[in-house]
Amino acid sequence: MLGELKNKHNAVEMHNIVKEFYDVRANDDVDFFVKNGSIHGLLGENGAGKTTLMNILFGIYHPEEGEIFINGEKQDISSPTKAISLGIGMVHQHFMLARPFSIVENVMLGRKSRKGILLDTKETAADLVALAEKYKMKIDPYAKVWQLSVGEQQRVEILTALYQGAEVLILDEPTAVLTPQEVEGLFETLREMKNDGKAIILITHKLEEILSIVDEVTVLRDGSMIGHVEVNENTTKSELTKMMVGRDVLFNFNKACIKTGKEKLVIKDLKVLNDKNFLALDGFSLDIHSGEILGLAGVDGNGQKELCEAITGIRPIEAGEVKLDTINIENKPPIVAINKGISHIPEDRHITGLALGWSLKKNLILKTFKDNTKFGLVDEKKIEKRWKSAQVDYDIKANSGEDSAKDLSGGNQQKVILARELGSHPVILIANQPTRGLDIGATEYVRQKIIDAKGDGAGVLLVSADLEEILQLSDRIAVIYDGKIMGILPCGSNVKNIGELMMGKKLEVEENEK
Amino acid sequence: MKNKLIKNLNQLLLAIGIIILSLLVGAIIISFSGNSPLEAYSTMFNGAFGSKQRFMEVLVRMIPLVIMALGTSVAFKAKLWNIGGDGQFIVGSILAVSVSLYSGLPPVIGVPLSIIAAMIGGALWSGLAGLLRVKFNAPEVITTLMLNYIAVYLLSFLVYGPMMDPLGSKMPQTANISTAYRLPLFESGNRLHMGIFIALFIVVIMVFFWKTTVGYKIDLLGQGEKVTTYSGVSVKKMIVFTMAISGLLAGIAGWTEVFGVQYRLLEGITSGYGSIAVVIALMGGLNPIGILISGFFFSALLVGGSTMQRMTEIPYSIVEIVQGLIIIFIIARTAINFKEIKNRITRRLSNVK
Ligand SMILES: Nc1ncnc2c1ncn2[C@@H]1O[C@H](COP(=O)(O)OP(=O)(O)O)[C@@H](O)[C@H]1O
Ligand SMILES: [Mg+2]
Repeated sequence: MLGELKNKHNAVEMHNIVKEFYDVRANDDVDFFVKNGSIHGLLGENGAGKTTLMNILFGIYHPEEGEIFINGEKQDISSPTKAISLGIGMVHQHFMLARPFSIVENVMLGRKSRKGILLDTKETAADLVALAEKYKMKIDPYAKVWQLSVGEQQRVEILTALYQGAEVLILDEPTAVLTPQEVEGLFETLREMKNDGKAIILITHKLEEILSIVDEVTVLRDGSMIGHVEVNENTTKSELTKMMVGRDVLFNFNKACIKTGKEKLVIKDLKVLNDKNFLALDGFSLDIHSGEILGLAGVDGNGQKELCEAITGIRPIEAGEVKLDTINIENKPPIVAINKGISHIPEDRHITGLALGWSLKKNLILKTFKDNTKFGLVDEKKIEKRWKSAQVDYDIKANSGEDSAKDLSGGNQQKVILARELGSHPVILIANQPTRGLDIGATEYVRQKIIDAKGDGAGVLLVSADLEEILQLSDRIAVIYDGKIMGILPCGSNVKNIGELMMGKKLEVEENEK
Repeated sequence: MKNKLIKNLNQLLLAIGIIILSLLVGAIIISFSGNSPLEAYSTMFNGAFGSKQRFMEVLVRMIPLVIMALGTSVAFKAKLWNIGGDGQFIVGSILAVSVSLYSGLPPVIGVPLSIIAAMIGGALWSGLAGLLRVKFNAPEVITTLMLNYIAVYLLSFLVYGPMMDPLGSKMPQTANISTAYRLPLFESGNRLHMGIFIALFIVVIMVFFWKTTVGYKIDLLGQGEKVTTYSGVSVKKMIVFTMAISGLLAGIAGWTEVFGVQYRLLEGITSGYGSIAVVIALMGGLNPIGILISGFFFSALLVGGSTMQRMTEIPYSIVEIVQGLIIIFIIARTAINFKEIKNRITRRLSNVK
């Protein structure tokens, strides 16, 4: 009965959806249809309006205009509770689990117990294990959430949604935080759910994912629906990119695995604490050569940020050495690293990389006031000149150098940082997540500039959670896990091996560095 | 360049707008109290500008207020909330007066030394708050306020005790400093003294100060501690230094008041200048020229207000009410996002179409 009904209608139909935030039209007359028993991709760059559209479907936002049909029936989805009762589940970009509780307790939160005022923990746990098995997931229902890896937490979110009876499951950029192996596992689960007749909506901006698992894809750009494509063997990346960005993009960097220059920065047995006073780096060693890009792969939060801060003098070092050529620079104030030519593109461009309230001009000389003075006063003319040439060299889109940094888009903000950090011709460049959150055009640009810096002779430490970025740019690939280097692989290494290392597994056959 | 001009002009228009709004709301309150707002404001205006004598009195009042507001602006620029101007003013004055009363030095050495003493006193008092912030993470809003109390009681102790004028009539004040130490007057029978040039000079210095690398670093600190550290500037050193400069100026303000107007230490010498200086600094947009203008306005308000109180039935509290309204509007201005409201309105309008 239900099966028949489901097949006749689309699982989800969203018609003419309009949603505004003040001056932003996040969704502008969007149509979005999802069939039952299919995996539907929702593709678009950052800020395209994907999350907004799905938040509307899940009842978090109310659209200004538009209608929603679930299995053919018009619905007013006024709240997430309503959405859940309609069989819609959502796994958010940022997880929403209660950390001190166990998995089963999290699932039971907000649900009536079958045993009245007594908790039905045992029964629920058994149900969960069965459900997990059915969809090829492995869990221990009594494990506490804070003990879980990000991938495991995601599984709990999915299970919770399934347990609440989701027939339509929305996943908002679920693979952003996973290793390649975990992604494979997740896709296995999704296929299983699809075979079960469920509708799955997969939000992403990664084309490989679209091509490997999705049946149909809807593309959003600047809040508008650009197109709807059935994915088959003939679907190409470039076609999808063009829809997503609105122009052709070349993702081809001329990368030869460069024979590296001499050792420039040597890091030995580093021990560094994180903000919670736990060891973020625990015996970390690495060396970076002039004229190479050393990619540091790893799941976020394995000590990458602490490493970058320790090298640049921002974070104190408990033990170990950092040497530039033969000079020890560990635990020296940040100005020492700056003066020695170590540039730093920080992970967090808003709070660390830019003085947001300052003009772009002034942001360019953030680290070099002293070199831009005349008679002891900062030389406005000189700065203006610098700005003019930086604006051209780095293609910064702004009205004038007097604009506040906060008024620029993320991509242009990053270009200002690049202009400052690369304009000084560094001997070492520490680039931490340099393209995170940027659109494709800006990403392409930033990567090219990093390659140029290498050509200029800089030794580059490229920290990125985006494995594809690491593979594209790096001459050598180091993998960090739990504050230690798991291995160093040559350029062109196998993704699977990197993935294993990212999960903290030792490789059985060492791929030897040449 | 043009952009900057427009920005400054905007700031000026905004300040004028705030003043007009405050006077209007003040007018309503005055009429509720059964008085005529027109009478109140016209006597106030007359009280400030009605004669050369009164106008000069406005300038006398302006000298310490502007210098102190400049000091406040230094800390505020770095988002350090130094509200202890009074305490720094007092400690600076105590040291300066001590030099002039007890050192026995000839004025050629003694006068410069007394200025230096005032600067040191002010800088120590605020620098201490900076140090407490850096060492113990004690918020400077609280510590500067508490240091105010300590300074006030210290002053009382001194003028009732060890520093009391030995020949005087047991009044809580010190002996007069010798004539040679005093700031010269413009003309006899009038209180306006050469300190006005010191105030103007400091305004000019501050205009340039903000263009030095040190000025930039203080400004940078106000942009956030993370970006400051990242830029190679030591946050801790900068906090203590900025606080010290801020207090140093308050110390100079104390010096001009003692050596130009009072000629001695006495209880209540600051007359609450500290809090007015905060308002002047904010209203001036933390910009030296802006502070000069808003300092002039507030001095006129204070002098005009006290004349009004003497000449009419209208209470002086009107002045305080207007001051309070200005503070409220300034806070509202920073709290409310005008851009957002504007956007909403234009959107509504375009939707209606
Ligand atoms: N709560 C909100 N308030 C204001 N603007 C928002 C809000 N949520 C999203 N936006 C804006 O709407 C646009 C689309 O955002 P989003 O749906 O998150 O994009 P995506 O998920 O595709 O990256 C962006 O410009 C974003 O800044
Ligand atoms: Mg999103």
